[in-house]
Amino acid sequence: MSTAPGQEAKSPLIRLRGVSKAYRRGDIVVPVLENVDLDIEAGAFEAFMGPSGSGKSTLLNLISGLDRPTTGVVEVGGQDLARMSDKELSDWRAGHVGFVFQLYNLLPVLTAAENVELPLLLTPLSRAERREHVAAALEVVGLGHRMGHRPPQLSGGEQQRVAIARAIVTDPDLLIADEPTGDLDRKSAEQVLDLFEVLHHELHKTLVMVTHDPHAAERADLVRHLEKGLLQ
Amino acid sequence: MTFGRLVWKDLLRNPLRLVLTVLAGAVGVMAFIFLRTVVDLFYSSAESAQADRLFTRAKASITADLPLSYLPRISTVPGVDDITFYGFFGGRYGDSQRDFFGSAFVDPPSFMRVFDELVVAPREVAAFQADPCGALIGKELAKRYGWKSGDRVTLQGTIYPGEWTFNVRGIYDVRTGSLDTNSLFFPYRCLNEKLPDERKDRVGAFMVRVEDPSRSAAVSSAVDAMFANSPYPTRTESERAATLGFISMLSAIITAVQVVATVILLIILLVIGNTLAMSVRERTRDLSTLRAMGFKSGRVVMLVLFESLAIGLCSGGLGVLIAPPLVRGFVAVVGSQMGGLPADFMREGTLVLGVLAAVGVSLLAGIIPAWRAVRIPVAEGLRKVA
Ligand SMILES: Nc1ncnc2c1ncn2[C@@H]1O[C@H](COP(=O)(O)OP(=O)(O)OP(=O)(O)O)[C@@H](O)[C@H]1O
Ligand SMILES: [Mg+2]
Repeated sequence: MSTAPGQEAKSPLIRLRGVSKAYRRGDIVVPVLENVDLDIEAGAFEAFMGPSGSGKSTLLNLISGLDRPTTGVVEVGGQDLARMSDKELSDWRAGHVGFVFQLYNLLPVLTAAENVELPLLLTPLSRAERREHVAAALEVVGLGHRMGHRPPQLSGGEQQRVAIARAIVTDPDLLIADEPTGDLDRKSAEQVLDLFEVLHHELHKTLVMVTHDPHAAERADLVRHLEKGLLQ
Repeated sequence: MTFGRLVWKDLLRNPLRLVLTVLAGAVGVMAFIFLRTVVDLFYSSAESAQADRLFTRAKASITADLPLSYLPRISTVPGVDDITFYGFFGGRYGDSQRDFFGSAFVDPPSFMRVFDELVVAPREVAAFQADPCGALIGKELAKRYGWKSGDRVTLQGTIYPGEWTFNVRGIYDVRTGSLDTNSLFFPYRCLNEKLPDERKDRVGAFMVRVEDPSRSAAVSSAVDAMFANSPYPTRTESERAATLGFISMLSAIITAVQVVATVILLIILLVIGNTLAMSVRERTRDLSTLRAMGFKSGRVVMLVLFESLAIGLCSGGLGVLIAPPLVRGFVAVVGSQMGGLPADFMREGTLVLGVLAAVGVSLLAGIIPAWRAVRIPVAEGLRKVA
């Protein structure tokens, strides 16, 4: 079911064929993505750029199983996401995808450690095992000493690193980041990007990132451009 | 961390709002319990009144008395099953007004038969009936003065001059009913023998038990007809008819009280529902983030419903804590006007009903917010900037 990096060197981790996505607004159908073909290899670090409204987030949602295409095939790790039910998609996301959002999306009432622990509540791990995983993930992002702090007590950069710890704590194959540095200052953004490189090079995660920031895009192996729903 | 802790932390997100909601819910539960108890009170006074018991007293006035010679004649009225009598003695014990308690003379064997709600140990029944000046005293009265069987009690006569001494032979409790446990009863003989001839053989009222309660009206009129042209005409009423007549007069008010109790549940529903709806709307992005991570809709629904349930339980618990003192205070004020209330007026069932109502209503209140939390597609929920 899951695809370890290198195991299927030939077939890409992510494979989109003829993918279109349109939203209905009342009677009007608004096309967002049109006939997108896309292959992303396991272990790649790719960045998507493009003007606002070009459909970058929509594409990420399809790749990460948050949404289904109007037509076309979205295959991730050999599974056709378009054919899965909501419940199956939930389980699949829990096991395979880690999310990093522009606004971090941490629960403000929970401590850093509790936020990181959230995805582990869906696993059969014991309390002690969960604690170990949480500590390890926070150590990776350099925040082992801030476990008991709640998001409002952390800087934006620190919050985003907590969010990254949360994204990797279940050890997913795929990390999805939608403008992860969009709300950060230069220095914090660099720290986050450094982390992404570590995850990419040392932990061999597949990273798909949307960004407006050319500095951020530079860190990726490959930058793709999306223009009015068309992949350039 | 656990799922329960997540619920708990989410609840405490906005402590002031939580406290206000729980307080509103608790006040509602309290009001609900209070109103239900008031309704219960009305009906329990009717239930405790004996349907099959009639009171025959002098028509002239409630203080006038009747000749004992009426007893055999009333017994012959068709439908009369049993009969006893009593007379108000009005003895005083001590000087202060607070020392007052009811005292009356009775015919012990028939009194015990007709007032079968009295609970007395069999040994004490025998002792009471054997002693010509024995006294049967109520549980509360016994407690008040620490009296027990064998004690001698001396009362100062008011209607019957002199000092009268009785031997406590038994202590009674009442199973149900309008009798209090604050009175002293003694045998008619003890008094009658010492009275001058012109005061002998007079009683305050006859208590008649009828064979068929549905015919008590007919029996009442037959009794009163029998003495209509005598020197002492009578007036006969049934215990329950009097109470029920009173209640039916109030039935519109009772219905209104019941409606208000239901409306209060509706208000709790809206208050808790509103709080949850606000909290869910504020958390649209948080909840969508959980769903993105793989929390299924069912879990998110549970999250909201558990919060709702927690609010309901807190409201119910708090309401149940504050309701009894309030109701007790109310009863202390109006109890005497309602002719003495049963000691167990606050029914456990009403308290349980109050908590159940709070829990049920809170779960109901959580349904729409919970549904709204998962109705929105995850991708769309994530776009919402709260
Ligand atoms: N749920 C939706 N319903 C209707 N229209 C939508 C919905 N989601 C996105 N759209 C529209 O689809 C288009 C593409 O949106 P998308 O969020 O993918 O753009 P984007 O490239 O991520 O833009 P940005 O850089 O501003 O984040 C926009 O015009 C947007 O209004
Ligand atoms: Mg976007």
